Amino acid sequence: MRPFRAPLGFLAALLIVLAACAHYPLNRALDPVPAAPSYEFPREANGTNTNGLFVCLVFSGGGTRAAALSYGVLERLRATPILWEGRDKSLLDEVDCISSVSGGSFTSAYYGLFPDKTFTDFRAGFLETDVEGALMTRVLSPSNWFRLASPTFSRIDLAAEYYGESLFAGKTFRDLGAGGRRPFIILNATNMATGERFEFTQPEFNVLGSDLGPYPVARAVAASSAFPFLLSPVSLKNHPAPPEVKFSREMRLAEGDFYDNRRRYQWAVNRTRYGDAVAYPYLHLMDGGLADNIGLRPIEDAFRRGFIRSLMNGGEIQKLVFIIVNARTEGQDGISRQEKAPGLKSVAMKTATVAMDNYSFDTIELIKELRDQRRQTQGVLRAFREKCPGAGAQPRLASEVEPFVVNIDFAAIKDPERRRYFLGLPTSFKLSREQVEKLISVGGELLAADPEFQELMGQIGKPGR
Amino acid sequence: MEFLVVHFPRSRVVLVDGVKNGRTEDLLELEAGTHVVSLGPPSNFTPSELTIRLRGTNPLEPREVRFEAV
Repeated sequence: MRPFRAPLGFLAALLIVLAACAHYPLNRALDPVPAAPSYEFPREANGTNTNGLFVCLVFSGGGTRAAALSYGVLERLRATPILWEGRDKSLLDEVDCISSVSGGSFTSAYYGLFPDKTFTDFRAGFLETDVEGALMTRVLSPSNWFRLASPTFSRIDLAAEYYGESLFAGKTFRDLGAGGRRPFIILNATNMATGERFEFTQPEFNVLGSDLGPYPVARAVAASSAFPFLLSPVSLKNHPAPPEVKFSREMRLAEGDFYDNRRRYQWAVNRTRYGDAVAYPYLHLMDGGLADNIGLRPIEDAFRRGFIRSLMNGGEIQKLVFIIVNARTEGQDGISRQEKAPGLKSVAMKTATVAMDNYSFDTIELIKELRDQRRQTQGVLRAFREKCPGAGAQPRLASEVEPFVVNIDFAAIKDPERRRYFLGLPTSFKLSREQVEKLISVGGELLAADPEFQELMGQIGKPGR
Repeated sequence: MEFLVVHFPRSRVVLVDGVKNGRTEDLLELEAGTHVVSLGPPSNFTPSELTIRLRGTNPLEPREVRFEAV
């Protein structure tokens, strides 16, 4: 009997069919009648959380270095006892939102999904894992070659599968927002077309006529950390939907603000273009650090026009705390030491990444300016009441807000040798146990040493700690 | 930031661009630009909403708008 020999043409056709079958998971269109509450900031505090003490954390990019540093801060917040509104609790119980980018998104998403398991499993499950090696194994596995040959399946989709299986247990945004619990997690990526940040929240998905609820958290984290060149973009479908579904009323009004408020105008027009799902059927996302490597912009937006503004105007916030965990490093500037102009590879890499940290300090300064403006407004109103008692009744703010901006940065380490060590750590998803241990430790240490954190603790910290 | 005070004979929730943003007679801090101001239920007020352009205010000289009871 002659052995079976498949014709070469048949095998080639089979390969093409197999490759064509592989497709990244598409984000679903919005149901006309939504089945579950959408993933938006829950206005009502629940459990031990209150609106009066409003705490937002911001986790920057920086691979495992950023993930470990932010984990260290979470650990310290958990070990920080406070007395607020007559109740003993930890400061971590009062965290209301976390906005994150790239490496920081692994910590925020994991904590959002598994708040209790975070302090027992995250370290071994992610921080001390060779994620790069695991991803490479998947890429090199013959079973994935056919899938990677597909034009609609790429390395980032393999990475998202790996994160979903190994870390996030296939959970979706419906799980992340279950019960309207806090903290509200904002995972940030960058829209490749506009260069603007894209956040994985339902209002942003409304613009795409899409339901974020069934979307895997792992894919959002993959988008948030899709570093240029090493990983490919995450793609989303822009579904057709009526304008009143896609766009909020505020977005429509802001389209007319070109002269009065360019920031608000730009925020609106970068989104309303997706009203035309025929002209713009897809949106491609890369590392959130390309637009904002701190992850602070969503919080700034919430302060100017979003959920923080609404709560402040409602008089619900008494203390407003922003804790910015910035894992930035200082790379060796090899370029400036060479007479020869940098080559194509260096130029490409620099072009893609040089902006990532360029405006990070500026973003932090912006939020400090907003803090100072609020303090100034309150001061002016107070002074006017005291110095001009006969001027008649003046309107009052619903409540005075005491704002704090805590800035965690390796540059604050006093010992020069230790500072150099942390500022020289690589950006990768593979660090040694010792490096991870040191990062976790320094995260808590820098938090405790920050002057504004100490001032806050002087007011609400439990005596004796 | 800009400043707005909304007047109404009774204390009522203020809606700015359809979102809860404090109460009547309080000094509200908002972003510059065009906003639609209205009140929370019941809808016993007129006009039903006001479109305003907020610009050039300060905490001591806020923009003031008024709704009447019906």
